[in-house]
Amino acid sequence: MYHQKKLAAQMEGMLDTLNQIFEIERKLAKIPESNSISRNLNKLKYIFENQLLGEENGLVYHNPINEKFDETRIDCEATIAGESTENLIITEVIKPIIRLKTSDGLNQIIQKAIVVVQSQNKFNEGEN
Amino acid sequence: MENMINYGIDLGTTNSVIAKYVKGDVEIFKNFTTWKDTLPSVVGFKKDKIFVGDSAKVYSEKIPQDVVAGFKRKMGTTESFMIKCLGQSKTPTELSSYVLKELKLFVQNEKDVDAAVITIPASFDTVQSNATKEAGLQAGFKQVVLLQEPIAASLAYANKAKEKKLTDGQWMVYDLGGGTFDVALVKIQNGEMRILDHEGDNFLGGRDFDRLIVEKLVFPKLKENGSFNNLEQDMKSDNGKYNAKYASLINKAEAAKINLSSQTAADIEIDNIIDDNSKELDFSISIARSEFENLIKVQVDNTIEMIKKIMVKNSLTPVDLQFILMIGGSTFIPFVKNRVKELTQVEINSDIDPTTAIAIGAAYYAGTKAKNFETVELKKKTKVKVKMAYPKASNEKEEFFAARIEGSIEGLNYRITREDGGYDSGTKPLKEKIQEDLPLVEDAYNFFKLIIVDETNNIIKIDNDTIEIAQGKYSIAGQPIPHDICLEVDDTETGRTKLEMIFGKNSLLPNKKSISKRINRTIIKNSNENIRINVLEGPQSALPEANQSIGFISIKGTELERDIIKGSDIELKFEISESRDLTVSAYLTLSNQEFKKTYNPKERYVTVNMLKTDLEDLEKTVNMEISEVEEREEFETAKELKKVQREIEKIHIQAAILPEDSGTDEKFQIEDKKRKLAQELTNITKDKYIQKARAEYFDLKKNTQKLIEEHGNDSEQRHFNDLVQSESTVINSNSISRIKEINDQLYSLNSTILWRTPDFLIGLFNYVSKENYSRLNNQEMAKSLIEAGKFAIQSENWDRLSGINSELLNFLPKQMQNEITTKIGFN
Repeated sequence: MYHQKKLAAQMEGMLDTLNQIFEIERKLAKIPESNSISRNLNKLKYIFENQLLGEENGLVYHNPINEKFDETRIDCEATIAGESTENLIITEVIKPIIRLKTSDGLNQIIQKAIVVVQSQNKFNEGEN
Repeated sequence: MENMINYGIDLGTTNSVIAKYVKGDVEIFKNFTTWKDTLPSVVGFKKDKIFVGDSAKVYSEKIPQDVVAGFKRKMGTTESFMIKCLGQSKTPTELSSYVLKELKLFVQNEKDVDAAVITIPASFDTVQSNATKEAGLQAGFKQVVLLQEPIAASLAYANKAKEKKLTDGQWMVYDLGGGTFDVALVKIQNGEMRILDHEGDNFLGGRDFDRLIVEKLVFPKLKENGSFNNLEQDMKSDNGKYNAKYASLINKAEAAKINLSSQTAADIEIDNIIDDNSKELDFSISIARSEFENLIKVQVDNTIEMIKKIMVKNSLTPVDLQFILMIGGSTFIPFVKNRVKELTQVEINSDIDPTTAIAIGAAYYAGTKAKNFETVELKKKTKVKVKMAYPKASNEKEEFFAARIEGSIEGLNYRITREDGGYDSGTKPLKEKIQEDLPLVEDAYNFFKLIIVDETNNIIKIDNDTIEIAQGKYSIAGQPIPHDICLEVDDTETGRTKLEMIFGKNSLLPNKKSISKRINRTIIKNSNENIRINVLEGPQSALPEANQSIGFISIKGTELERDIIKGSDIELKFEISESRDLTVSAYLTLSNQEFKKTYNPKERYVTVNMLKTDLEDLEKTVNMEISEVEEREEFETAKELKKVQREIEKIHIQAAILPEDSGTDEKFQIEDKKRKLAQELTNITKDKYIQKARAEYFDLKKNTQKLIEEHGNDSEQRHFNDLVQSESTVINSNSISRIKEINDQLYSLNSTILWRTPDFLIGLFNYVSKENYSRLNNQEMAKSLIEAGKFAIQSENWDRLSGINSELLNFLPKQMQNEITTKIGFN
């Protein structure tokens, strides 16, 4: 039991760290910078994907920004902004989707994304 | 046990839970799409589709005309909900039955769930209770037993703390959830538990606390740091320009609230908000636990007023109550517990899981209630045959799935879910032909499950319910790599170079890999030194010279922007496309420089300089081999080797006169010959190296086993067992590199243990401090270390001696520390 709790705490720590890496990456995208910080980030992501859980397993995250959203999509915990619920796209990602990659090729979701979604119709109207 | 009801259901206003009594214990069934214990009590409709739970909850506030939440409050009333997209009304009873049917699906792989104990609030009257019972029957339960929620929670506590058997007396059950609050006075007398009184607020809960954080703490900070004309309106109104930001701030506030239950402060990061003067705001708000407590004080005090009201009505003083039992997610907040205790002076009881307690209690009760009907297996199970059609592999983001259904489909529904938990089609009526666009996870095997259910969500068994689509992996039927592709690295053991695997033979195209290495010698800026990245195709077990170079980058001192210090990192990336283009990139972390090149397999990559260096190395290797075999008087082998030696000399001369920029085919011919000769050399000497490596393995195995017996621990013994387990396959293989790999691991295990043993540490100390004292670089420093070492030996402080030895070793000349080759520049 103690061992299980310890493992769960370790996994939670890894997810927290990945969420932080995701945030840094998101912020970095807005800063004009030579790509040297991205390299460190990519290295960190590589370690999570290939080293931390052994050769066969790894943790990877996916940023679903600008992807379509509807009620069949259960990999995101979404909040709808605005009035319309048609033609929704993900406009803000607070936490990314995290998957556990395994050698059998099945990439199980272990953290659903926390996202804000908005109708694309509204964007288009705004542009016009 | 078979004839007991066993299933307990908390049919909540906000969330519902299903549990089962199994041999004295209770099992909670997880939501099969979200793996949470709970299912939001929300039902949505879209054309012919029904969706229940988390996916419906997303839409509940925005399209209440199609997605309904909170219907429990209307149970037993004549009110019904007009569903716009269906053009018909649904009663709260019908909506509850959808939630119950969804809960039945959590219980997969079990026999039909045909009876349940369902909980109801203490405030429910007969009509409301009957409506709940009816919802259960509509969901397909043949028997429904109702149980009041505060009693269910008390049963969960009584069963959890069996040693603290509930004696005659009374207590309160305080239930503060996400959106509702209830408190009830429960009394037990002569073994009979009943509710004496209750109070509640249908619009008070954790979600109010999130809103308070945003409106009272975040908004003022936003105004302080930016300029906003009408912040509240722009945030909270659906049409407001910051409405999306408001949604995201509520999420962040909820996370901060959860953190504040275990930490004394939590941060909310503000970014990506542009104020009315086009200034982008980017800052962090730290919320102290005390600030949060001040914020929710009024709401929490209101709940306590309700407790006091019950106490006054029932003429109770604090000593009349055994405890206040806390349930509902918001009772995780320490302030709630402390404040209730402080103002009521009654002991707080948080022994049970606040989110599942009611369902657990219901299941315990269900374990004692017998079914009042006979369980008969359905004699005639509906039979349907499903013929599926879909591509097994795809490169698309979604794929078309179709199926033809045979058999009686009347009243049946279907649903498709992806097994990673990312997709749920919702429940739809089954037709003769069904079709769906299934979204695929990229570069993964996508497994979907098709389930067919009857009207009350009992699963109809079908022969094949799995849909399997490989996304981005369809090269399985495509090209495998025909030979190992390796990287040449320095071999610290032999002083030569060896091959490290990048992509193994038969791995699939396209492919990519990153490898991080440490630079093993300092490269001075503008010097003639270089770092070589040589990618070769051919067996990993061969000599590097025997394989064909398919990609080569030489990073010269003259190209460097600063000195590259020994020990710094070089990050190498290798990418091979489906058409076998190889892209090699090397990034030097110290100078922040990247060197990148793509090689086309149609063009062989050979430089004259590289050829010359390889031939020099090959000559050295063959000369060394010859003198070794002559020493052992193996004249036949020596003769074969001399033949190879002559051939190497010949092509070396040919190469020596080639200009560096030679455009002729000659360099390719020489390179071909070189590879063949190196291969020949490998074949002649391979046996010797394999035997040597095998002998080394058995020595190491024996020594390590002895060391573990004397000084090792359990984990080292396990590691050792794991290593020797593969002995038969590795040792009998003809791969030197595999045997060396296992030897390296044994050696490292050996060293780890040795560095703990006093004899070894003393021996090493004497070797460095006595036998090699004159060779130590910094003798003054070394002297004080040696004194400290003597003291460590006297006081038997072996950890300290180990540290001193490491420091002393650093004072030895570098060539003595490690005789390594640095031809490549990393190992």
